[in-house]
Amino acid sequence: MGGWRALRSAVCVMVALYLLAPLVIVVIVSFSAASFLRFPPPALSFRWYDNLFGDPGWMRSIAISIEVLIPASLSATVLGTAAAYALIRGRVPGASLILGCLMLPIVVPAIITGAGLYGVYRGLGLNGTRTGLIIGHTVLIMPYVVATVSASLRMMDARLEDAAATLGASPWAGFRRVTLPLLMPSVLSGLLFAMVVSFDELIVSLFISTARVRPVTVLMWSNVRGDFDPTIAAIATLCFVFAFFALLLEMIVRRRAGAEHT
Amino acid sequence: MTTTRRDILLGGTALGLAVAGGIPARAATDLKGKTVVFASWGGAYQDAEKQCYCEPFAAATGATVVQDGPMNAAKFRAMIAGGAPDWDVADITIDFLYAGIGDKLFEKIDTRLVHTDRLSPQFVNEYGIGCIVWSYNLGYSTKAFQPGSQPRNWADLFDLKRFPGKRALGDNVVATLEVALLADGVTPEKLYPLDVDRALKKLDTIRSETIFWSTNSQSQQLFVDGEIALGLILNGRAYDAAKKGAPIAISWEQNIQSIDYLAVPAGSRNRDAAMLLIDTMTEADNQAKLANLIAYSPTNPAAFKSIDPKVEPWLSTAPANVKQGFVINAAYWRDHLKPLQERWAMWKLS
Amino acid sequence: MKRIDHRIWLLVPPLLLLLVAFIGPVTWLLSRAFTQPAPGFGNFVELWEHPVYLRVIWNTLLISAITTPVCVAVGFPVAHAMTYANARTRRWLIFLVLLPFWTSLLVRTFATVILLQRNGPLNAMLLGMGIIGQPLPLLYNMTGLLIGAVQVLLPFVIFPLHASMMKIEPAYMQAALTLGADPLRAFFRVYLPLTLPGLMTGATLVFISVLGYFVTPAMLGGVRQLMVAQLIQDQIGQFGNWGIAGALSLILLLATAVLLGLLHATVGLKAVAR
Repeated sequence: MGGWRALRSAVCVMVALYLLAPLVIVVIVSFSAASFLRFPPPALSFRWYDNLFGDPGWMRSIAISIEVLIPASLSATVLGTAAAYALIRGRVPGASLILGCLMLPIVVPAIITGAGLYGVYRGLGLNGTRTGLIIGHTVLIMPYVVATVSASLRMMDARLEDAAATLGASPWAGFRRVTLPLLMPSVLSGLLFAMVVSFDELIVSLFISTARVRPVTVLMWSNVRGDFDPTIAAIATLCFVFAFFALLLEMIVRRRAGAEHT
Repeated sequence: MTTTRRDILLGGTALGLAVAGGIPARAATDLKGKTVVFASWGGAYQDAEKQCYCEPFAAATGATVVQDGPMNAAKFRAMIAGGAPDWDVADITIDFLYAGIGDKLFEKIDTRLVHTDRLSPQFVNEYGIGCIVWSYNLGYSTKAFQPGSQPRNWADLFDLKRFPGKRALGDNVVATLEVALLADGVTPEKLYPLDVDRALKKLDTIRSETIFWSTNSQSQQLFVDGEIALGLILNGRAYDAAKKGAPIAISWEQNIQSIDYLAVPAGSRNRDAAMLLIDTMTEADNQAKLANLIAYSPTNPAAFKSIDPKVEPWLSTAPANVKQGFVINAAYWRDHLKPLQERWAMWKLS
Repeated sequence: MKRIDHRIWLLVPPLLLLLVAFIGPVTWLLSRAFTQPAPGFGNFVELWEHPVYLRVIWNTLLISAITTPVCVAVGFPVAHAMTYANARTRRWLIFLVLLPFWTSLLVRTFATVILLQRNGPLNAMLLGMGIIGQPLPLLYNMTGLLIGAVQVLLPFVIFPLHASMMKIEPAYMQAALTLGADPLRAFFRVYLPLTLPGLMTGATLVFISVLGYFVTPAMLGGVRQLMVAQLIQDQIGQFGNWGIAGALSLILLLATAVLLGLLHATVGLKAVAR
């Protein structure tokens, strides 16, 4: 057994390195002074971050990413929570089928969703618009919220809400004062993840963006194909840092929720 | 940021007078608020174009220029077919210019707005204005090969014994077929029409050792990383890589000369602004600046005197280099680009 | 009875969005297969007749089939460690596995490009340790694609496996050992089958993901690793050929559906929430 244990630990360490090493390398390269991507860098410098922050093209794209992710993640969270609540607590015929349908955007390859939206948007003039991007992102991230909130609802004791109803609370008051507070951690968790997914979304955005209106991932993609300078590493590092803090926040939210419910 | 009637009248009057006088107007706030999308080949070249054409243009007119790319002939076509094209000015190769004219892909150049008289007449086309002259060269790593045993011509690229290591070619049928045929012993005079089957057969002999780069920047990166020992690379890109410290040199034997043009996609909604951007490109100073950055030769003869003598040996128009090369047959590609691109796609997967 | 009505109405906005922004567009795209450029099955005939398309489809299936077992093999020990290690190690492992998961695919794949370069850190390390004499060609080929894909897809295997493993009563293994089975046999005949739901879920998720892969083959693979998603994009973005794009999408979707169906039949579908 000891031999297997050691092997398992060795594999885990290697996998941990495998998963993290590339990210660490990108961060280091972003501070490289060299003009091409190379590791280890000959010297360190902030020049690529200067390049990034001084470039109106990048700044515009980052602004678009943020302008899209905020409405999209908020909408997805509201709609997703509503759907999860209705499906788990309500007595809806065919609930599991509907739940399955709501999960479809994750299962269907993004290339299909992207191409479909692009085709339909063409007739509506929604390509290269913030509205088009927001709608597309919302429908893509909604399933994550539905999954997270519904998992939480299933684990929650429905009798608490029944008790509230028995004591005379209206359905909305019951939801607002009993269910929602208990649900808050997973709603927040869903919201955070939704924000990250929207910020990282590439394939659908690639189809429905134009040079004038495109989120940062699309700009990164066209740069990575046509360009090899470490500015990409700088923006990649920023994306990674965003994800890092979002994840940290999410884990803290979960920890505190767990602690409250002992 | 409201434009008063006075501004509009002044601007309009200036424009009107100027156009009547046959001189393009460049009133300071002509294009404020307008966004022009410039599409090119990415990397160091597009950065240079941004610096030398787009920024002076933006400074003079108040317009915003957005960079996009990389340029892709098929994508260009699809954009036109789809309606309002996303790009306002595109940097295209001569083969695509000729092919595209037949398919009505470009707007006619507005000679009232563009100083076509500044350029040598061979670079002025009804639908595009030549911006740079360049060449396809054989590049090689100075680390992998010592002086005395360095590859010199395309046959060396296909010689896996004398010049071992991975090589690179562009993921593009243009020039690759020519290179293969030249390596197989065909002389430039007998090259066209291309014997496609023979070229593909020759390419089969090295394909397992070849990386096909999809962008010019990738061709540079491959040399920088040492992923390849030798390969096809554009002269300007090689210069840029060498300037940045990569161990690369190029041979001028059998170089294939070509020209890039700036054109406006048909149906562009910023036609006038696009034309003014092209006009900025024709200025001698801007062209010289670009040549000094990335060793692509100007089309405005007045620009040559401002080019750094250090850059001269890397220019495809240097007399010693022109002698060793030949000009790509754009007329051939006008007629064969589309079908051969499809054949290339098939060959890649076989 | 009134309360049930209220709650059903909550479903209307989300389902409406789903219909308008997802089901509608996807159906539209798939319908192009039968309507562009002319009504009928012409596109499928063309797919069958041109070897390129079939080769890319086959290529895609092959790449998925290779990546999936590798992913499962690498992920299994990690899921195991996550389940049976102490709480602190488990938290670290979860964070370590989640972090790449929350980082954009593009960033991770780009990072892998730098890692795998000829003069890059991985080759440098292997050379330095004397394991190899020459730098390995790890980029622009199947190897690079595999390395990049597994790195991105590991969480999809680890989390379902972990969930399954958590449910296994230690008593089962104890019983097997007490009854005289050696550890290896006990593992293969008792433990492994009990992890099957998680394992199948993870494997299916990986396979489906790789089927639709776009970014990874483009950045890490060579020209021979062209996959269906890139082909669909080319058909639309470069050739305006919506008919073929629709037909290819339909095939891709059918393959995905078949796999999910298999999963449901063997294990039963449950919302796999992270």
